[in-house]
Amino acid sequence: MRCLHPFLPASQAVSCWEGVRYLSGQELTQSNKARVLLFIGERWSAFFLLLMLGVFSLTAPHFFAFKNFTNILYFSTLYVLLAAGETFVIITGGIDLSVGFVMGFVNVSAAIIMRNLHAAGQPPAVSMLIGAAAGLVLGVIPGLINGLLVARLRVPPFIATLGTYGIANGVALNLCEGFPIYFLPPRAREIGNSFLAYLIPGKSFSFFHRPQNLDAGDLRALTGILPATVIVTVVILIIFAFILGRTKFGRHTYAIGGSMDAAIRAGINVPGHLVRVYIISSMFAAVAGVLYVFRAGIGNFTTMSSSYELFAIAAVVIGGASLMGGKGKIGGTVVGILILMTLETGLNITGIPSFYRYIATGLILIAAVVVDQLTPEGRTLSA
Amino acid sequence: MPDASIRGNVKKDSRVGLWLGRNWALLFLLLEVLVFSALGTRFLSLENLQNIFVACTVVLLLAMGETFVIITGGIDLSVGFVMGFGTVICARFMVLLQAAGLTQGASIPLAALICLLIGLVPGLVNGTLVARLKVPPFLATFGMYGIAYGFSEIISKNTPISGLPSAAGVIGNEYLLYIVPRKMVSFLIRPQNITRPEMRSMLAIIPIIVVIAFIFIVIFAFLLRRTRFGRHTYAIGGSIDAALRSGINVTSHLTRIYMISSFFASLSGVLYVLKYVTGRADAGSARMLDAVVAVVIGGASLYGGTGTVKGTIIGALIIATLETGMVNLSIPYHNRYIVIGGILVFAVLIDQFFPELIGRRE
Repeated sequence: MRCLHPFLPASQAVSCWEGVRYLSGQELTQSNKARVLLFIGERWSAFFLLLMLGVFSLTAPHFFAFKNFTNILYFSTLYVLLAAGETFVIITGGIDLSVGFVMGFVNVSAAIIMRNLHAAGQPPAVSMLIGAAAGLVLGVIPGLINGLLVARLRVPPFIATLGTYGIANGVALNLCEGFPIYFLPPRAREIGNSFLAYLIPGKSFSFFHRPQNLDAGDLRALTGILPATVIVTVVILIIFAFILGRTKFGRHTYAIGGSMDAAIRAGINVPGHLVRVYIISSMFAAVAGVLYVFRAGIGNFTTMSSSYELFAIAAVVIGGASLMGGKGKIGGTVVGILILMTLETGLNITGIPSFYRYIATGLILIAAVVVDQLTPEGRTLSA
Repeated sequence: MPDASIRGNVKKDSRVGLWLGRNWALLFLLLEVLVFSALGTRFLSLENLQNIFVACTVVLLLAMGETFVIITGGIDLSVGFVMGFGTVICARFMVLLQAAGLTQGASIPLAALICLLIGLVPGLVNGTLVARLKVPPFLATFGMYGIAYGFSEIISKNTPISGLPSAAGVIGNEYLLYIVPRKMVSFLIRPQNITRPEMRSMLAIIPIIVVIAFIFIVIFAFLLRRTRFGRHTYAIGGSIDAALRSGINVTSHLTRIYMISSFFASLSGVLYVLKYVTGRADAGSARMLDAVVAVVIGGASLYGGTGTVKGTIIGALIIATLETGMVNLSIPYHNRYIVIGGILVFAVLIDQFFPELIGRRE
């Protein structure tokens, strides 16, 4: 017989007998200890992030600087978008390996359309809008294919998305023939690298418009506050965190991951829902691809060894999701990405070659799962 | 899984379908060869066929290790980057040992041996994580994928390693047999002092690296097919609980399986170094997909318990033939990713439509 203990989270159901024991004096202090451990165990990633920020601030020169924190956010945007889409898929108990190459595919297609419209003499605004919109629409296709394969044809998610991984990569390389795409409207790059506000300390402050005709000293002092890409990303993340946490769609997503059978019996349209989840994942990748075009001002395919999917999946798992499904939060995923990006920035500033980030990511990924296995609550995974 | 009574009633046409479903990979391979020899130039020449086998070796070796892992119901995503790690270790040690004053004859085999030994480490780590710490294989090997790549970039300092002993390339591009028509036949040693037209008409038969790969594949195919080790591998994939109850030491067996996988990855790294005389971190980055595809085309189920070396060889040959054929027809190389991704999905769909083929439990 199991019942809910008033002082423990709902997920920590204990037997009633144990519940009574918790209330007796000596056991109470022990349960406090356990609760502290549980509290830390559940939020170890957030503590780890704070710890890392602390260590780097003390050891790395110029790490604790406004510009550097802006940088961390700026570099997190693409990864966090990929990881947010991945979160939805992983909560349903699936996996999407194709996100990195879908991003590359959308990136290349959007850039080509922008370049061609720009070359055809269309005004920059038109070519950018059509390019971005077309990129987002194209981004639906890989997700639709993944979803249909997984939900209707019962292909294991791993294999279905490994197939689109290859296909998206091949199509992207075909489109760009292996070269970056240049000659986009120059406005694209300006927009992608603009900030919400600009501050020259003690001199000027302006919204949206970058101050012109600055001398070298002012240019160095110029501080951008909140990159535009970060704002776009945050807005999207808030919307989807709401969808996941507060709507029927979100509850169904968790239900499918918790138990597919129960979800079917509860009358959820599981195939339809799964298709939509895979579309969400590839739409996130598409948004990342379009943002990439604006940020870099060129279109570029994803290289084989850049391993975006590694970082995305690692972030979701570090954020507390289980690959068996039913667990995971957008907030956790954001913390996961911030850990990885803080680590990378910190290592860079300390002068450690960036390749160490692959090692560090791999280690943290494995550590996250092992920690999850060792905490009693987290024994949801099995080999 | 349908029981015997249903199976007994299978109609004749569905039996044909079943046969097709079981042997589609072989038929697909034949179709590929037919199409490419009809469209391509000199596709069926001795030289080109040997090229297919050379192209096949890397994929096949990675896929061999992957076959063992997939039969146990696991997956090893790290093989591509462990192979890169192998090339980097092997090349670096060749350079170091040569600089330390060893002869080429000593430094090349010694470096290869060191590489194969170090190459067991990623597998040991993967196996320990999967078997002892119960980390899902997907995540454990995905972590290793990042770790192996990071280490190889650091060891290679982000540039292909050069300055290897010159004999390395000679070994890797040597053939077992040379025939100069109407003049001489020589084993292993490329004929010297022959005229230019003779050189052109010379037949070089069976590349050495194919022979090396073949030896290891035969050994491990035997291991899988005929020994207790192989039977235990299938047993673990069939049902891990049943394997535990029948007294198989699942933990150590799984560890060994992952070590076999990374052994094959570093072996293909060594062969890569011998063939291309360089070591680079991204040497196998695109090969993980190929390895998994070859195994799945070969009829293995990702749920474990099925898979054969024969099937994997056919799968690897399909990929290698495709690759070579596309070069022959001068189709841009990157189309291969599209076709291979497509074949992968197709292969799994066939498994889904013919559940009798693999006896998968729903």
